[in-house]
Amino acid sequence: MNRRMPKVLRIIAIVLICFLCIIPFYVLLVLSLNSPQRTFYEGSVFVPDFYFQNYIDAWVKSQIGTAIINSAVITAGTLLLTIFVGGMAGYAIARHSTRFNKTGFAVIIGCMMIPGIINTVPLYTLMKNIDAINKLWGMILVCSTLALPSAIFIFTMFIRALPKELDEAAAIDGCTGFKTFWRVIFPVIKPATAAFVILNGFGIWNNYAQAVFFLQSRVKQNIPQALSVFFQQFAGAKWHLMAATAVIAIIPVVIVFLIFQRQFMKGLTDGALKG
Amino acid sequence: MALLMEILAVKTLYRKKFNWAQLMSVPAFILYAVFFVYPLFKGVGMSMTNWDGMGEAKFVGLQNFIDFFNDPRALNDIKTTLIFALGSAVLLNLVGLAYALLMNTKFRGKGFARVIVYLPAIISPLIMGYIWYFLLQPGRGYLYHAFAQLGLPDLVGNWMSAYPSALAVLILVNVWQFAGMTMIIYLAGLQSIPTELLEAATIDGATPWQRFTRVTIPQLMPAIRINVVTNIIGSLSVFDVIMSLTEGGPGYATESLSIYIMRMCYGSRTGYSTAVALILFLIIMIPVLISMRLTRAKN
Repeated sequence: MNRRMPKVLRIIAIVLICFLCIIPFYVLLVLSLNSPQRTFYEGSVFVPDFYFQNYIDAWVKSQIGTAIINSAVITAGTLLLTIFVGGMAGYAIARHSTRFNKTGFAVIIGCMMIPGIINTVPLYTLMKNIDAINKLWGMILVCSTLALPSAIFIFTMFIRALPKELDEAAAIDGCTGFKTFWRVIFPVIKPATAAFVILNGFGIWNNYAQAVFFLQSRVKQNIPQALSVFFQQFAGAKWHLMAATAVIAIIPVVIVFLIFQRQFMKGLTDGALKG
Repeated sequence: MALLMEILAVKTLYRKKFNWAQLMSVPAFILYAVFFVYPLFKGVGMSMTNWDGMGEAKFVGLQNFIDFFNDPRALNDIKTTLIFALGSAVLLNLVGLAYALLMNTKFRGKGFARVIVYLPAIISPLIMGYIWYFLLQPGRGYLYHAFAQLGLPDLVGNWMSAYPSALAVLILVNVWQFAGMTMIIYLAGLQSIPTELLEAATIDGATPWQRFTRVTIPQLMPAIRINVVTNIIGSLSVFDVIMSLTEGGPGYATESLSIYIMRMCYGSRTGYSTAVALILFLIIMIPVLISMRLTRAKN
């Protein structure tokens, strides 16, 4: 089908698609660099005023710095916890097919399709009882349970594909199961860990549906929650500040994505299609 | 005595054979049981009470479910959620597949183009909603001014303050944002099709269209399955982009069930909101199970 389409047309289509994807980011940049007094009737819409003061004002007023740190702590904590418990669980499930492990695996895979919003309200009462509302560790626990099925699934599939001789050799060397996993298996399945981080990392970083419930206090908010609270104050005015805050908020993910994009594309397809 | 010896022998044998490593799954199972499975069951109980989140809960049977189906706002939310999901899932797969077919050819800057198309998908849908809000605001949004300066007529209408158009904008923004993600999965699927298959079909005299429908599509089934299922789950539980782009407006016209659950919970109708969550659960599981059955690999 493709080969028939003249090459020029195809290239034009691809260039148009790329423009379509990039224009909103350009517009955001222009808006963030316009001075507060500017109206668009005064000059070209395509060239901003290069008014960098917006960024300083946005940084101070929105407290986005705190939110970035909170998001980083939540994302790192969630990923570490899920890799730790999910990796071990994947090893136990892949290597010891007991009734207990089989049942647990079936339950978790069955629940994999249930979006978090379904049990957020009853979870809220539980979190209140253990005093985990407005705590970063509370949010880490919530995000971890949502990412755990994906971790267990990916690790189990990758470990099942490894030869059992690896474990046996480690056992002869006197390794316990715990040591075998961390010293021998875990280093071999780095692509699994990478695929898990890639498939879940941005989702945890961008989480909003749970943050609305569990991170209400100003100092504990993650990026989306902080942005929505900050933006609601303006009721549609002060776009220059809103745009500058949004730019600051997306810079970390864009940088991480651009640095790791090669591994990213590979991990995404590895993780998605192996399953 | 002999029996006792036997039991002891079996016991030591068992002890020797018992491998503690099989219990390495316990921490994960406990975490999941406490923070996911337990609330899920607790929600079923709560859905049959009139609990307001603070005081005493009173058992009301199926009253919450009856109330839900008698609330025009709730019924409209079901409609909005279903239209959004159907539109998103269909368009995302068509656009994603079209992008993938375009990108699955040799050209310079292929890697760069893929990165650009994927870029929107890594940004929070909430922020994406705000960006499109800046672009589309009638009379003062960026596109309005851009069209005016280019001498074009105002192509941006009052879309966000009218019902069907506001929903259409939400669907299109969602498709725009996640087409890259669908594309990547389809690209991987396309690249895993053996070229011999397509060549054999050509030798047998298949037209390009026949090759596409008889070889490419069946071979793409695993990718189609992943994309359809994840798109259905994601779009039926849509929350972020609506919150930032329309806040469910005009009125409650574009409110999704997820947002309704959150607002009912904040409105001190905790028991009722868990009942709505169970209804949403059914609304998600039915199409997911159907589409999984339809796209099951035939081998």
